[in-house]
Amino acid sequence: MLSKRIVFRLLKYNIREFSVKRKFPINPESEKQLPVFDYTISRTTYNRIYVWGCASTGALGILYKHNEIEYKTSQRRPKRSTFAEQHDVTTVGCGYGFTLFGVNSSTNVKLFGTGLNTDSQLGYHEVRNGKPLEVLFLPQPIILQYKNVEKAKIIKIRGGRAHSLVLTNEGVYLLGNNIYGQCGRQIIPDESYQMSRYIHHIEKVDGKEIKDIACGQDHSILVTQDGSVYSCGWGADGQTGLGHYNSESEFTKVQGDIASENIVKVATTADFVLALNDKGDVFGWGNTEYAQISTKDGSQQICNPIYLEMCKNVGKIRDIAAGGSFCMIVNDKGEVFVWGYGLLGVGPSVQSTPVPVQIPSTLFGVNDFQPDTVVKSVHCGMNHLCAITNYGDLYMWGRNKHNCLGLGDDKDQTFPLRVSVGGLVTDVVCGVDHNVVMCKPYI
Amino acid sequence: MLPLELTLAIIKPHVINNPISLSAIRNVILTSNFKIVRSKRLTFTNEIAETFYKEHKEKFFYNRLVTFMTSGPSDLYILTRENAVQEWRRLMGPTKVFKAQYEQPESIRGMYGLSDTRNASHGSDSTMSATKEITLLFPEFDIPKWYKTEEPYFRSGSLTFLNKDFIHKPNYY
Repeated sequence: MLSKRIVFRLLKYNIREFSVKRKFPINPESEKQLPVFDYTISRTTYNRIYVWGCASTGALGILYKHNEIEYKTSQRRPKRSTFAEQHDVTTVGCGYGFTLFGVNSSTNVKLFGTGLNTDSQLGYHEVRNGKPLEVLFLPQPIILQYKNVEKAKIIKIRGGRAHSLVLTNEGVYLLGNNIYGQCGRQIIPDESYQMSRYIHHIEKVDGKEIKDIACGQDHSILVTQDGSVYSCGWGADGQTGLGHYNSESEFTKVQGDIASENIVKVATTADFVLALNDKGDVFGWGNTEYAQISTKDGSQQICNPIYLEMCKNVGKIRDIAAGGSFCMIVNDKGEVFVWGYGLLGVGPSVQSTPVPVQIPSTLFGVNDFQPDTVVKSVHCGMNHLCAITNYGDLYMWGRNKHNCLGLGDDKDQTFPLRVSVGGLVTDVVCGVDHNVVMCKPYI
Repeated sequence: MLPLELTLAIIKPHVINNPISLSAIRNVILTSNFKIVRSKRLTFTNEIAETFYKEHKEKFFYNRLVTFMTSGPSDLYILTRENAVQEWRRLMGPTKVFKAQYEQPESIRGMYGLSDTRNASHGSDSTMSATKEITLLFPEFDIPKWYKTEEPYFRSGSLTFLNKDFIHKPNYY
């Protein structure tokens, strides 16, 4: 039987102190001052970048060994970009066989480019001994003339067939081919674009700051702070939306149904354009040969933006994407709808549908374990489609040109399939035959 | 042995901008037993493009076809082999790229075409139009004279291939 004194001590102190028989009991406050072991976790700003697709153009920025390049024409699975490990890459842009990286830096080297450079879409680069003139196989710095070098920041990059747009906080820089006026400057007949040093800079359009950019194969689109849209470039399909089918060499305001709307996003890849306003309505213009917009008179080119009534039943639309022959939208419930022509993901074969058809949500990972999965954003290449869910999963389907789906095989994919990327996907940028994905680490 | 046929092949401007695609298409031409009689690089002027595509003048895509063809240099080849017109059209695949890439994914347009206008290549649709197109784009080339002087060399295969100019020259001596 315990004595009264022991029971008293048990109640007063904890057992450990009692058993050790300390002369001086530990101060409970001192425990809080002890260092806690810090498990290593990644920085929140740390971006992982994965690339895959056609490697022979150098657009992936990965140096293959000399004997390897002979047969390594495409990267079938996502490969971590070594360049992005050495630089703090904040934004990426892809075009037809080239990639641009925007880097967080206080010097004037904020932009890097790799891939095809036949029209100086990656800026001027000196001829190097033993290297082909028109192709860069590793990211090379592109120097832009910033006004305030320390504070200048690259916000968004987009690439077309042979030109590229770089949006900074000091306006937009346009590089490359200007044969249709897609760089927003006067068309000079017989201008040589190879080894050109000229970079065009537009600070503001109509006195308004530029908020967003979009880039088709041969046209460029700017969205300003007040939600109006300006375009220039090739208009033979009406993709500039300016009411005519000629090339336009100066950024001009797009009228039509979007004249008084507050446009928040414009999506275009080839010759068709979709625009989304702040209320969740969708507008479209450009080439509609594959029933992207069904017109009453059956015309296949639309040069004035029109409101898409068929998207009214879909609900409030949150994100849009336009491919070469199809369109994709996602509503606020995270449901994905597609229409147009191609491997849309709603059947086992190539399909053509003029009205939006929903892709079953189960294909995007909605199951008993993750019932709250929703698709957050959608993206399109020319012939392939991608969707990102709120769990950071990337799903891809469509035509597998040069293995651009990253699923490990070279077959076309008829339904959405998850790509094995080692991170939480935050953004995907689609080129014509390659893709770049920005990820956050899991931990 | 069938007589050799001539056909005109045009590699369109967006492929010239991509040297990797261009060399791949050139490889396809060589491995399909085509011989290159003449080859040159030329930027279409508006006049040539309008005459060349005058049969499409009423179609809705006429304007974009002409503006696309004048947008940069194109490669023009006079190709020859037996049944050249049909064989070259078979290699190219269907005209519309968005359909060609699913119907004939291994064809030139299915592999290297971008969109329906940027469809990588052009080929004559018959021997008649091949003659017409060759006289328009190669005014210095005399077809009857070629059949008289050079065709036997191309038939017997006594040729030298010049990779730099991408052309087959007869071994005259």
